[in-house]
Amino acid sequence: MTKINVVDLITDKPLIANFFDYEAYVRGDLELGLLENRRGDRLIAIPDTMINALYQGLSKETGQAARLVMINCGKWWGKSFYNRFQQSLQDFYGIPLSEMDMLTFVRSLKEYWITHGWGKLEFDPEYRDRGLIVIRTYNSAYSRSLPGEQRPSCFLEVGILTSFFSRLVGRELVAVQTTCESLGADCNRFIIGIPERLGNVEQWVLDGMSHDAIMQKLVL
Amino acid sequence: MMRVAELLQKTEDRFLNSEEIAELSNFVAGMPARLTIYKKLRDREVPILQAVADQVEQELPSADTKDVEKSISSLMLVLRYCAMALLMNSDEAFLKQRILRWLEQVSTAYNLRRINEVIFRHLNHLLTQEFSPAELGLLQPLITTAQVTLIY
Repeated sequence: MTKINVVDLITDKPLIANFFDYEAYVRGDLELGLLENRRGDRLIAIPDTMINALYQGLSKETGQAARLVMINCGKWWGKSFYNRFQQSLQDFYGIPLSEMDMLTFVRSLKEYWITHGWGKLEFDPEYRDRGLIVIRTYNSAYSRSLPGEQRPSCFLEVGILTSFFSRLVGRELVAVQTTCESLGADCNRFIIGIPERLGNVEQWVLDGMSHDAIMQKLVL
Repeated sequence: MMRVAELLQKTEDRFLNSEEIAELSNFVAGMPARLTIYKKLRDREVPILQAVADQVEQELPSADTKDVEKSISSLMLVLRYCAMALLMNSDEAFLKQRILRWLEQVSTAYNLRRINEVIFRHLNHLLTQEFSPAELGLLQPLITTAQVTLIY
């Protein structure tokens, strides 16, 4: 065992502090009506009613397509989100995302969710070695039902998780939602994996299959 | 300070009542003592952390150096946040919110609890040598909150 030198530890190693700590992260110039994050990127607080209006408006104008529109919006959003997320962490910790340990990455993602008021996110690694990632979100800002539809409805989150994780692992992945707070579930569950494997999941969900049953079927 | 911030929010409702003024006076009156502890923690940071690191290495020679480094780095954050909490007269909730929720996830995942246990034992012992009982009375509750969170 080599001897630890605390002076080196303090000066050389990146601190393992929380970049997305709310108090340090959210700033603002209220005279100009601007909210910013600690890197100077603009933040906007969106009222809950606006997300409701988005769901209602899109549903009225585009009918069944509203879901796909929102998933696509989420994908675009996810692309920029990934870029910013990885740039922020890279600048803060001084190491590229690819060299960051999994735990710091996951913790940061959770903190990001909380600090932006999107709800609480949990990363479930149980099925990771079988090529599937499960994400759970609680108190999601995006879980609200579309008129006349009985299906999980965190479409924006489906989109954002799809493109975030595709970029992260460098291949095309999809996220499929299996449970939803808007349908009375305790949380929103998303399965992320390659499209060929998850192709039937959406139909299984519509057929009323439970999340656990779907996972069992996928890992068989 | 959290409490002071609360008092500030009452600005437009009314003037502070005598109880609240007394509270504010206490906050100010306690400041010199808290500053002294804060400065001592600042100036003694490296020797304290180094002594803890040395003792951990001695007691747990088979522990992975990287794990011990991680824990010592975490301890550094804990001490800095404790120092700030003390200065601002904030309570344990401030610590939990700002740093412990974050660090707690590491100690669980990497199984650093055993190392943290040894770290805090030595830290507590060192602090009794560095600080007077009165000073410890202010500092210890914060350290104990961190210890409980990171070990159990």
